[in-house]
Amino acid sequence: MLNICRFDWRYLVVCMTVGGVLTVAVPAGLIAQQTPTSSEEGDRQTLLERIAILEKELGEREKSPAVLTASAQPPVQAAAAAQTSSVTGRVTDAQGAVIANAEVTLGAWTPAMPGMKMAQGQQFTARSVANGSFTLTQIPPGQYVLQVDAPGYGRSSQELQVPTTQTLNIRLELLELPGAETSARPAGAPAPTDNQALVERIRVLEDRLNALEASTVLSEPETRVKRIEVFVDKNGNEYDKEVPGAKKKVTYQRERVYRRQTINEKIEDALGEQEKRSVKLGVSAAIIPQFAFQTKGEKTDADRHAYQLANADLFFTAKVAQHTMFFADVVGLSGTPPDLEVPVLTLLNGYTARLVRQNELNLREAWLRTEVFKQRLALSAGRLDLTNYFDHNVVANDETSQFLSDSLVNNPALGLAVNGSGFAAVFDPKKGLNFKIGFQQSNPDATSLSDSIFSLAEVGYFLNPFGLGEGNYRVWYRVNSTGKDFVGRKHLAGAGISFDQRLSPTVTLFGRYGASQASVVPEVVKQDRFYSGGLQFRNHVVFNPGDYWAVGYSQAHLVDARREQLTEGYYNFQLTERLKLSLHLTHVLESRPDAPKQGFLVPGVRLSAAF
Amino acid sequence: MINAKLIMIVAALLVVTGVVATAPRPAADIKVADPTSVVMIVNRDSNDIAFMDIKTKKIVGRTFLGNNVNPHMVMMSPDGRYVVTGGTRANKAYIIDARTLELVKVIPTDIAPEHLSFSPDGRWYYQGNPEGDSISVIDMLSLTKIKTIPGLVEPLNVTFLPDGSKAYVGNYGAHWVGVIDVRRHELLKKIQVADVPGVAKLDPDKYLGEIKGINIAAPSNDGRFFTRPIRILGVVGVIDPREDKVVKVIRVGKEPWRIYMNHDGKYAITLNNGDETISIIDLKANKVAATLEAGPNMTGVNFAAGKAFVISSTTGFVYVYNMQTLKPAGRIRIGTNIQLETATTDTADQKIYLAESTTHSVVIIDAKTDTFEKVSNVGLFPWGTHIMDSKDNYCH
Repeated sequence: MLNICRFDWRYLVVCMTVGGVLTVAVPAGLIAQQTPTSSEEGDRQTLLERIAILEKELGEREKSPAVLTASAQPPVQAAAAAQTSSVTGRVTDAQGAVIANAEVTLGAWTPAMPGMKMAQGQQFTARSVANGSFTLTQIPPGQYVLQVDAPGYGRSSQELQVPTTQTLNIRLELLELPGAETSARPAGAPAPTDNQALVERIRVLEDRLNALEASTVLSEPETRVKRIEVFVDKNGNEYDKEVPGAKKKVTYQRERVYRRQTINEKIEDALGEQEKRSVKLGVSAAIIPQFAFQTKGEKTDADRHAYQLANADLFFTAKVAQHTMFFADVVGLSGTPPDLEVPVLTLLNGYTARLVRQNELNLREAWLRTEVFKQRLALSAGRLDLTNYFDHNVVANDETSQFLSDSLVNNPALGLAVNGSGFAAVFDPKKGLNFKIGFQQSNPDATSLSDSIFSLAEVGYFLNPFGLGEGNYRVWYRVNSTGKDFVGRKHLAGAGISFDQRLSPTVTLFGRYGASQASVVPEVVKQDRFYSGGLQFRNHVVFNPGDYWAVGYSQAHLVDARREQLTEGYYNFQLTERLKLSLHLTHVLESRPDAPKQGFLVPGVRLSAAF
Repeated sequence: MINAKLIMIVAALLVVTGVVATAPRPAADIKVADPTSVVMIVNRDSNDIAFMDIKTKKIVGRTFLGNNVNPHMVMMSPDGRYVVTGGTRANKAYIIDARTLELVKVIPTDIAPEHLSFSPDGRWYYQGNPEGDSISVIDMLSLTKIKTIPGLVEPLNVTFLPDGSKAYVGNYGAHWVGVIDVRRHELLKKIQVADVPGVAKLDPDKYLGEIKGINIAAPSNDGRFFTRPIRILGVVGVIDPREDKVVKVIRVGKEPWRIYMNHDGKYAITLNNGDETISIIDLKANKVAATLEAGPNMTGVNFAAGKAFVISSTTGFVYVYNMQTLKPAGRIRIGTNIQLETATTDTADQKIYLAESTTHSVVIIDAKTDTFEKVSNVGLFPWGTHIMDSKDNYCH
C-alpha cells in the first residue's frame, strides 16, 4: 500500500477507504456466504431468527414512531466530522434470500418549504452484489435517507446518521400488483422453498380474492353515442383528419365506454337512466284560508267572512330529445277566494287567476322547450304562461312561495290574465345581458290567433352596483291586440321596469313600475299606472334556517280615477324540504271617485307541499 | 505497467464490494426531471396515474397500480419526490417515485381511502379513510404507516396549518371539524360548527339520517379556516386556528358543496348544488358578496386570469365569473353527453386542466380566451388532475 501511495496519492485515499470498507464489509459478506442455504432447516432457523430480530426492531420503532432510523449507534462526532466514511449493508427479501443488483441510494432529506422548489441534493448510489451486500463510500457525515429499490419489490426507506458502524440489514417486501403485466416474482429470484409455500398460498388466496372482487365489480363496457367530426371526400371516403378535397361533416357513432362499477353503482345508474327516459311527475298542493275584516268604509258582505282555496298542480316533464323537454301543468282549484266578495282592483289571492272552473282539472300549461346555439337560445312553444318568462322578479313573482297578492306577483300593466298558445324565445349567453321575446293568445274566446295576439319583449341586465350584491334589472314592452279601447284602437301598448337588488347577503329590495295604455275619453290617451316595491329578508331574524319573510307595497292608479293601495307582509316557515307554512297579513285600501274609501284587513295562511 | 495493474486491482475491488461512489442515477430511468412540469391525471377505471407534460401535452409516463384499485385523488409531495394516491377499492396508499414514475411502495390503510394531504414539510402524508372513519398517517421518510387516527366520522378532507402543527379534518358524517395534533398524530379537539335546528324534528331523515356534514376546512390567506358544513343547513363556518373556535357562521345557498379560495385571498366560493347557485364570500367582511346563477351538479372551482371557472359536471358546461366585478362572464360548453370531473390550474394561473371522464380526456382551458382543447386517451375515466404547487388542487 505504501508503494502504491508513492505512485499516486489519490489512490491512497481510495485504497484506504476501500480497505476500511473491507474490514467491515468482508465479514458481513462471509457471514452471508456461510449461511447454510442448502439446508432447509437452516433456512427455517435463519428466517425465524430474522423474524425475531425484525419483530424486536418493529416493536422498538413503534415505541418511538416519529424517529425511524436504522442506525442507532451514536457516532463520535468530532472524529467523524473530519473525514468521510462508508455505509455498508445487505439486501434480502422477506424470506431472507439475498437480492442482488438492488439500487441503494443515500441522499439528504430536508423538509419541504412551501412555495420553494426543492433542488435535488447530492446522492450516493451503489448496487448490491451477488451476495446482497452493498457499500457506499466517501460519505460525508450527516443526516441522510437511505433508500433501497429492486425490481418487483417495494422501496425501503429509512433515516440514517453517518458515520455509522452498523451493517444494515435491508429487507425488501414483494410489491404485488393484481393485473400487472410483469410477474410478481422478480427475475432472478431464487426458486421458492417449502418455507415459501405459505407465502405462495397467501398469494394464491389474494389472487382469488381479487378475482372474486372483480366478479362483484361490473366491468362490462357501456355503449354511448358520441358526436364526431369527420372529413368526407367526393367519393364518399371518410377520414378522421382533414385531407385535401374532403369536407367536414358531423356524424355520430357508437362508443364503448369502460367504467368499472360496483353492483350498487350499476343499479343506481340504471335507475337514473330509467328516470331520464320516463315522464317525471311532480305534485304541488296548497291550501289557503283567508279572512276579511273591513277597516274602512261602508260595511260589505266581505266583512268577517272566511275564505279558502285549495289548489293542486300536477306537473309532467319528460326529455324528448337532446336539450329538448316537454312540460305540462294540470291544475285543479276549488273553493272561494276573497276576490269574489272584496271589491279590489287586483286579486288578493294570486291563485284566483288559475280558477277557471270549480272542482275541475284544467290544462294550465303544455309546451315544448328546446335549446340551440350552444344552449344560449331557448325556444318554448305551446300553451304558455308568459309571466313565467317576463318580469321574472326574483323575490316577488311566485304566489306559491312568496306574496299572495297578485299585484306583488305580477305587474298588472302586463295585462295578461290567462294563459294561451304561444311562443317564447330567451337568449341568454350567461354574461349578464339577456333578451326575451314572446307572444301568446290572450283571449280564450278568440276565433283566431291573429285576433288575440299578445306580444312581449324584454331586455334584462345583471348589475352589481357599488359592490352591494347582485341586482337584476329589466325593461319590457308589450302590445295586446285583444279588444279595443274607447277610441277604437286595437293595439294597446304597455311598458314597465322591474328590478331586484340585493342590499346585503340577507336583504333584497325589489321594485316595479308599469304603465299601460287606456282611455276613458275619446281623443285623450291616458295610462293606467302601477307601482310596487318591498323587501325580502332571508336568513335574517328567522326562527329556523331556510325561513324567510318579506313586506311589500303596491299602488294602482287607473285612468278612471280608481285607486288601490295594498300592503302585504308574510313569514314563511320552511318546515321541511317539501313542506312550507306561511302566514300572511294584507291590508288593502280601495278608493273610487263615486264612493268612499274602503279598507280591508286580510290575514291568511298558506300551507303548501311539493313533491 | 504498475499503473495498469493498480487500476485493475482497484476495479476488481470495486466490483467485488459493489462500491460505486457518487454515481448518478442513469438518465434513462428518469421520466420526469422537473416535478412541476407535469400534470398528474388519476384514472379511476384504468387504475393508473398518467403524467402529461405541460408543454408538449403528451403523456410521458403512466404508473399502473393494480386491478380494482380505483385511485381517487393524486398529489405530489411538497418536496417533489413522491406522487401518492389512495386506492379506494384496494384500501391501500400508493407511493410513486416522482422522477422514475415507478411504484415504490404500497401501504395498507383503513377502508376506502379517498382524499389526502401532506404536512407542509412533506414529512407526513395523511390519508383520509371515509368508510373507516379514520386517517392513516404515513411517514414519507420511512415510507411506512406509523399510525391510524380513529374517532373521525367520514373524514373527507384534511388541511394542515402552514406551520404544520395542526391539521383540520372535515367530517362529512358529522357537524364538527376535527383538530389533529400533528406532533402526536392525535385527535385534539372537535369544533362544533353549527347546531341542528329544532325544526329538524319534523324531518329527521333529512336532517339527521342523511347528514352531509363538513366537507373541507380550507385556509384563507390570513390564516383563518373556512369550513363548509352541513349541506342541509347551508352554512360556512369561520374558524380562528389560534383558539380553534368558530368565530362566524355565514349562511350561503342550499346544499353547498365545498369552499374554494380565490388566489388573491379576497373571496371564496361555495357551490350550492341545492339551488344551482354559487355564493361568493368576501373573506374580509365575512359575508356573502354575491349569489350568482350557475348550473347543476357542480364539482369544483378553478381560479385563473382573474376569473372563476365553475364546473357543472353533468351539463358539460364550465361557468365563468369575473372575480373583479363579481358578475357572470359566460359559460364554456365543453361538450354534450359528457361528464366533467375536477380540474387543476397551472402555477401561472393561465391554464386549467379539467378531467372529462366520458371521453377519457383532459380538457385544457385557456383562461384568458375561454377557449379549450382536448387531450384524448389519457386513461380510463380520468377522475381528477393535479399540478405541483398549483393553488387549485382539489378533488370531488
